[in-house]
Amino acid sequence: MYFALTDEQRALAETARDYLADRFDLTAVRAVFEDTAGDGHPAELWKAFAEQGWLAVLVPEENDGIGLGLLDAQVLARAFGTGAVPGPWLPTVLAGEAVRLAGSPAQRAAVLGPLAAGELVATVALRAPGGSFDQSGVGVTADAGPGGARLTGTASPVEYAGVARTAVVAAKEPDGGIGLYLVDPASPSVTVTALDTYDGTTRLGGLVLDGATGERLPESNAAVLAELNRRGAVLTAADLVGIARAALTRTIEYDKTRVQFGRPVGGFQVIKHTLADLHVGVLMAEHAVLYAAHAVDAELPDAELAVAVAKAKAGDAAQRATAAMIQYHGGIGYTWEHEAHFFYKRAKRLVATFGDAGEHLDRIAALSIDA
Amino acid sequence: MDLTFTPQEEKFRSELRGWLDANIPAAWRDPGFWRTVPDDEGFELRRDWERRKYEAGYGGIAWPTEYGGLGGTPGMKAIYDEEMALARAPLSANGLGLTFLAPTVMAIGTDQQKRDIIGPMLRNEVIWCQGFSEPGAGSDLAALRTSGVLDGDEYVVNGQKIWTTNAMHGDKLFALVRTEQGSEAHRGISMLLIDMHQPGVEARPLRQISGASEFAEVFFTDARVKASECLGGVGNGWKTAMMLLSFERGASGISQYATFRRGYDEIVAAARRLGRDTDPTLRRELASRLVELECLRYHAMHVLTQVEQGRDLGSESSITKLQWSEAYQKLFETFDHLLGLDGVVTSPVEDLDLASLQYEAFWTRSVTIWGGSSQVQRNIVAERVLGLPR
Repeated sequence: MYFALTDEQRALAETARDYLADRFDLTAVRAVFEDTAGDGHPAELWKAFAEQGWLAVLVPEENDGIGLGLLDAQVLARAFGTGAVPGPWLPTVLAGEAVRLAGSPAQRAAVLGPLAAGELVATVALRAPGGSFDQSGVGVTADAGPGGARLTGTASPVEYAGVARTAVVAAKEPDGGIGLYLVDPASPSVTVTALDTYDGTTRLGGLVLDGATGERLPESNAAVLAELNRRGAVLTAADLVGIARAALTRTIEYDKTRVQFGRPVGGFQVIKHTLADLHVGVLMAEHAVLYAAHAVDAELPDAELAVAVAKAKAGDAAQRATAAMIQYHGGIGYTWEHEAHFFYKRAKRLVATFGDAGEHLDRIAALSIDA
Repeated sequence: MDLTFTPQEEKFRSELRGWLDANIPAAWRDPGFWRTVPDDEGFELRRDWERRKYEAGYGGIAWPTEYGGLGGTPGMKAIYDEEMALARAPLSANGLGLTFLAPTVMAIGTDQQKRDIIGPMLRNEVIWCQGFSEPGAGSDLAALRTSGVLDGDEYVVNGQKIWTTNAMHGDKLFALVRTEQGSEAHRGISMLLIDMHQPGVEARPLRQISGASEFAEVFFTDARVKASECLGGVGNGWKTAMMLLSFERGASGISQYATFRRGYDEIVAAARRLGRDTDPTLRRELASRLVELECLRYHAMHVLTQVEQGRDLGSESSITKLQWSEAYQKLFETFDHLLGLDGVVTSPVEDLDLASLQYEAFWTRSVTIWGGSSQVQRNIVAERVLGLPR
């Protein structure tokens, strides 16, 4: 029995944390957060991601990647949550996963090498407004045209749609199935609209396709879409766990030194008990993300349940911890100048990304009540 | 990550499973069985069964062989606990002795104590009770007042203990007694090993909200105990008790998951029988209970890993206690929400007997109190894990 990260995985976490603390701290995050007209994609940071191999982690070695698993990737996602780090890491990595899982050898060669090297920013467009993160939420249809598939419909919100050079678009097909297509967002039949969002640690956009050409990933189907959504949910849960831990740690440090009524407020039992419960919740969420990542890597029979548990638990922990961060900093925590709102807003967005709590609880119910 | 057990551990599992299959009577697997048997008779059945289990080689799984144990790995102990839960094996008649007292004796007992205590305990010849809490010393255990005054080579003990498990069937009691008169708080306490079969010791059962009487009060009126029957040295009782309580670790979470998950499945089955398994709000509530149970299972694997790596868990065991006890209690709150008025009666419809689940629901109100209440555990987590000021 070994339920823990390996030394290598721990070293990876440390490298990521140290780099971010050193080179991209919350001051740098704030610059991106407040530059609402900017693309939210700092070039220096991306270059570092590529140099460190953080974009190559899931890319197979034959495509010039490192060929590690989701357990390794979640180490990075967690570090990015801890630092509230902007940039298109998650959508790029997931687009790579789609190509790895369902692409032809030629597509894999064309996409994965440049992606691992940091030369290709990509994204995934898997649901329409109002949709859930499954087959039913897909808002694009594919029709067979004379020169290949033509895609029509909407996908939104799409992370970093504005800077991605390739989008993996999920589409309903004439036979009732699902296909994944590589689409060039710059093509004339695709309209990309920047979407305003309160979370300045990312950039979101909408895609409207009007007969756009798409290059089908030949092995794609509904099961691959489900697998992609599962992987997205695990990495999002890892980011949430990173957020939750950062919010809790920062709150504890503050409440150890903030004096009211002649003593540190962290000594008051009502605050201690809340923080203790939060710690238990965040720790359980950390366990759940580790287990889910491993369950997907090892194709354990309860992988689907584990992913839903991890996403539901991580979202809950992050929501509570970031709300507590505001509350237990008092008035200062409610100001724009304080960093609490970076974590709070990022958590709010990610809680709803790749399935909100309701969707995942419904899945858990279906797996455990109806089975 | 490697969530598998070794081939030797899996071999142990299959042999143990075979033995349990052959040696647990079918009637015992009925969840209501133990409530149909009178207390005394049930206790003797358990005592005898456990002795046979020991004779078959399944006692003291992770204890050194020199003490009559199996010398097994922490993984084997986890497997043992899980298989016992899955097979609905009866609860140990000597749980407090086996879990707490025996490892403490192995660590700090005298040679005489090692000889006198461990073997008879394994064979269930001596049933051990724990005498810690008092009416005036619950969460604040150091406020205890039961006194022991030296008279020749014996202590004369006066006072009262409470919440004593198995006291009505117990033979001996490891008790915290204030042996230094006038001492306060943690000082001046000794752990005495008191014979319960003497005129100065009287046990009276306490009836709980479930109607059962697992606990009792124990009164000492000039009870006598030899000065040599002190564990860990005179005046060292607090230190000895802290060491003793630290042995509640390992991977009990894996077996708790097995038990609680069965509760979850039984609750779901009852709801289905009443057509109450389709309400979307209640389904989500149930699912959120399962989230906590699954987290308990993952946490148990984390704990087992730490034990196998030789790390000291220390105050982390308070996290484990909070997770299992709160999750278990909330699961049974959902039982009430799911079944509504039908959950009030023992058998709302034919072929559905809720007695065991109702009993368990009452039991869950106790788990956030005994062994350190949730409030005490939160203080420990806040102060010793998070470093918040006292």
